[in-house]
Amino acid sequence: MDFDLSDQQKEIKSVAHDLLTERSTFAKVRACAEERRYDEQLWRELVELGWTGIAVGEEHGGGGLGMVELAVLLEELGYACAAVPFLGSAVSAAALAAETIDAGGELLATLVSGERRAAVGLPSMAADGAGAGLAIVIDGGRALLMREPQVEEVATVDPTRSYARVSGGAQSALGAAARGRVLIALAAELVGVCQRALDMTLAYVKERRQFDVPVGSFQAVSHRCAEMFRFTESARSATYYAAWAADAAEEAIAEASALAAAAAIEAGREVTAGAIQMHGGIGFTWEADVHWLYKRAQLDCALLGPLKGHQVALGELAAQRLAAAR
Amino acid sequence: MDLTFTEREQAFREELREWFARNDPGQEPESDEDLHFKWRRDFQARLAADGLAAVHWPPEYGGRGASVTESAIFFEELGRSGAPLPANVLGLLLAGPTIMLWGSDRQKERYLAPILSGEEIWCQGFSEPDAGSDLASLKTRAVKEGGEWVISGQKVWTSGAQYSKWCMLVARSDPSAPKHRGLTYFLMDMEQDGVQVRPLRQITGSPEFNELFIDGARVPAENVLGGEGNGWKVALTTLMNERAGLAFFLQVRLRQLLDRLIAQAAASGAIEQPLVAARLGELQMRAEILRLTAYRGLTATEKYGQPGPEGSLTKWMWSQTNQELTQFAVDLIGPEALAEGNPWAYELLRARGNSIEGGTTEVLKNIVAERVLGLPKSR
Ligand SMILES: Cc1cc2nc3c(=O)[nH]c(=O)nc-3n(C[C@H](O)[C@H](O)[C@H](O)COP(=O)(O)OP(=O)(O)OC[C@H]3O[C@@H](n4cnc5c(N)ncnc54)[C@H](O)[C@@H]3O)c2cc1C
Repeated sequence: MDFDLSDQQKEIKSVAHDLLTERSTFAKVRACAEERRYDEQLWRELVELGWTGIAVGEEHGGGGLGMVELAVLLEELGYACAAVPFLGSAVSAAALAAETIDAGGELLATLVSGERRAAVGLPSMAADGAGAGLAIVIDGGRALLMREPQVEEVATVDPTRSYARVSGGAQSALGAAARGRVLIALAAELVGVCQRALDMTLAYVKERRQFDVPVGSFQAVSHRCAEMFRFTESARSATYYAAWAADAAEEAIAEASALAAAAAIEAGREVTAGAIQMHGGIGFTWEADVHWLYKRAQLDCALLGPLKGHQVALGELAAQRLAAAR
Repeated sequence: MDLTFTEREQAFREELREWFARNDPGQEPESDEDLHFKWRRDFQARLAADGLAAVHWPPEYGGRGASVTESAIFFEELGRSGAPLPANVLGLLLAGPTIMLWGSDRQKERYLAPILSGEEIWCQGFSEPDAGSDLASLKTRAVKEGGEWVISGQKVWTSGAQYSKWCMLVARSDPSAPKHRGLTYFLMDMEQDGVQVRPLRQITGSPEFNELFIDGARVPAENVLGGEGNGWKVALTTLMNERAGLAFFLQVRLRQLLDRLIAQAAASGAIEQPLVAARLGELQMRAEILRLTAYRGLTATEKYGQPGPEGSLTKWMWSQTNQELTQFAVDLIGPEALAEGNPWAYELLRARGNSIEGGTTEVLKNIVAERVLGLPKSR
C-alpha cells in the first residue's frame, strides 16, 4: 500500500503551483472578479498545456492520466482561486471518458480542445455556466448529461466564476462514475481553497502583533489554526482516496465520493470562516483577499449538496456492508 | 498512489485470518478486572507462541520484521476477529521499541523476550501529581549510591501498575541541571519494598490506574536506559511510540464500537430514521477519515522513516471521534445505556479519558500549532 502522491503526481502539482503563483495572482483574480469575466489568456494557456484532457485517454487527445492527476490540478486551481472555466470542462471530460455514452469521443475531443465549454453542478446552479454547450449535473442520486442546454446565468456571491441555471437540451442519464467524479472534483478544489486560507492565516497571525506579541501566540488563535489544519488534512485524506478509487477501485466510488464530499464541505466552510475570523477586521474588508476563498468555498459546498445527505448515504452504506458480512 | 495491498500484505492478512479463526479467545469475562486481564494475558501468550505478539519487532527479538503496514493489518484483523488486545500493550508498543532503540545488547537480551510472551508486564511511570502536561518538571529523585540508584518520589495515573513487573521510570538525577537535562530513564523492578502501588479508581469505578509511592527503591546502574542525564530524549521515544504506534490499535477499537452501534441501529430499525442515519454516517465519516489519515502516516513512515505532519492528528481525531460515538450511543439506545453494567455506560465514561491520556488534546493542539504550523510558542 502506498498512500502518497507518486513522484510524477508531485511534479504535476508543483509545476501547476508555480505556474499559477505567477499567472494567477490575487491581483488578477480580483481584476477578473470585479469585471465578472474569466482570465481568457490563462484559460487558453491551460488548454494548450493539456490540463483539460489530463484524465482523458490519448486516443481522444487527452493526457491519458487519471482522476488523481486531475484532482491535484484542481487543488492548485482552488489554491489560486483562478478565474478560469476549467472545472466544468475538465470534469465533464473526465466524467464522459469514464462512461460509455460518448464512445466515439466527439464531445470529449471538443472539451479537451477547449472548443466546447461545459458546466457542472446542480440544475439550479452549475459552475462555469457562461457559454456552456454541455452540462453535467447531479440530480438527486444520479448524474445527467445535457447537450446544448438552456443556460441562464446567475450572479452569485462568488464573482471569480460564472454560475448558471441549466435546463433542457438533449438529456441522458449518466452512471455512478460520472456522479462520483463531479463530487470528487469539487472536493479537490475545496482542498486547495482550504490550504490557501490556512497558509494566508498562518502568515498573518505570525506577523500581526497585539498586546506586544504576535497574535498567533494566543492559544485561542493557534488552536483554531490547528483545527483548520485538521479539517484541511481530513478533506485531503478523503479526497485523494476517492480520486484513487475513481481510477483503480470503481466499485468503491459511490462511498468514497460521498466521503470526500462530506469531508470537503465541512472543511471548506470551517476553514475559510476561520480564516476571516483570524484576520480580524481586515479579513472582513473587500480589500483583503480571504473573502474570495470564503465565497468560492460557499459555492463549491452548495454545489456538493447538503452535508447531511452525504452522511446519511455513508451510514446506510456502512450498515449494508455490515449486514452483507454477517 | 496505490491503496491496494501488495500480494505479500494480502497473504499476511489471509494467514492472520486463518490464525484468528483457529484461535477462539473464548467468552470475554465481563465484570472482574483481574479475570479480564488474565484473559488478555493468556491470549497474548498464544499469539507469542506463534510469533504473532509483536509482528513489527525484528525477527532477532521474536517479531516477524513486519512493515508498519503489515503491523496495521495485524491490528485490523485482530479487531475484526473480536480477539482481545494483548495484555502487555505498554510493553509491546512502548517499552520494547524504546529498549530496542536505546538499550545495550544485554538489556535487549534480558527484557524483550518476556515482554513478548507477556510473562513480564510493563507500566509507564512518567506522570506525577505536579508534572502532567509539563512532564519535564517532574520531581521524583534518583540519587547514585555506589553501583546503584536510589529512587524516591511519587508517580500517578500509572496504568496497569498492579500487574507490572517493570516500570519505565523517568526521574531527576541532577537537580542542578536545566529541567530537560537532569533526567534519567530507568527500568525499575516493581517487586521491591520501596515501591507501593495504590489503586486509583477511575470515573468508571474500576481501578485501571494507580499511584506509585516510591521510597528508597533500588535500581542497579545497569538498568539505566540510554545513559545518565539523557532521560528526556529516551522518554520522547516512548511518547512518540505512544501517539503513533497506538494509533492503529485504537483506531481498530473505535471501528469495533462503531460497527456494533451501526448493527444495533440496523437491527432495531432505528437506522430508518434520517436523523439516526445522518449521525451514524457522520461517525462513519470521522472513522474513515481517521483510518485514511493513519494510512497516510504509514506510507510516510515507510517511505521517509517518520509520519508526516498529518501524523500528529490521529490521536486527537481518535479521542474526539470516540467521545462523539459513545455519546451518540446513549442517544440511540436510550437511558438504559446508562444503567450500571451496560457496556455502553463503561465506554461513555472511559472515553472521557481519551482526550487526557497520552497527551491532552490541548497539548496536542500546541504541538500541531508550534511544530507543524510554525506558530510562535503559545502563552
Ligand atoms: C486513563 C488515563 C491513563 C493514564 N495512564 C498513564 C500512565 O500509564 N502513565 C503515565 O505516566 N501517565 C498516565 N496518564 C497521565 C496522563 O499522561 C496525564 O494525565 C496527562 O499528560 C495530563 O496531565 P495532568 O493530568 O497533570 O493534567 P494537567 O497537565 O494539569 O492539565 C490540566 C488541564 O490544563 C490543560 N493544559 C495543561 N498545559 C497546557 C498548555 N500548555 N496549554 C493548554 N492547555 C494546557 C490540559 O489540557 C488540561 O485540560 C494517564 C491518564 C489517563 C486519563
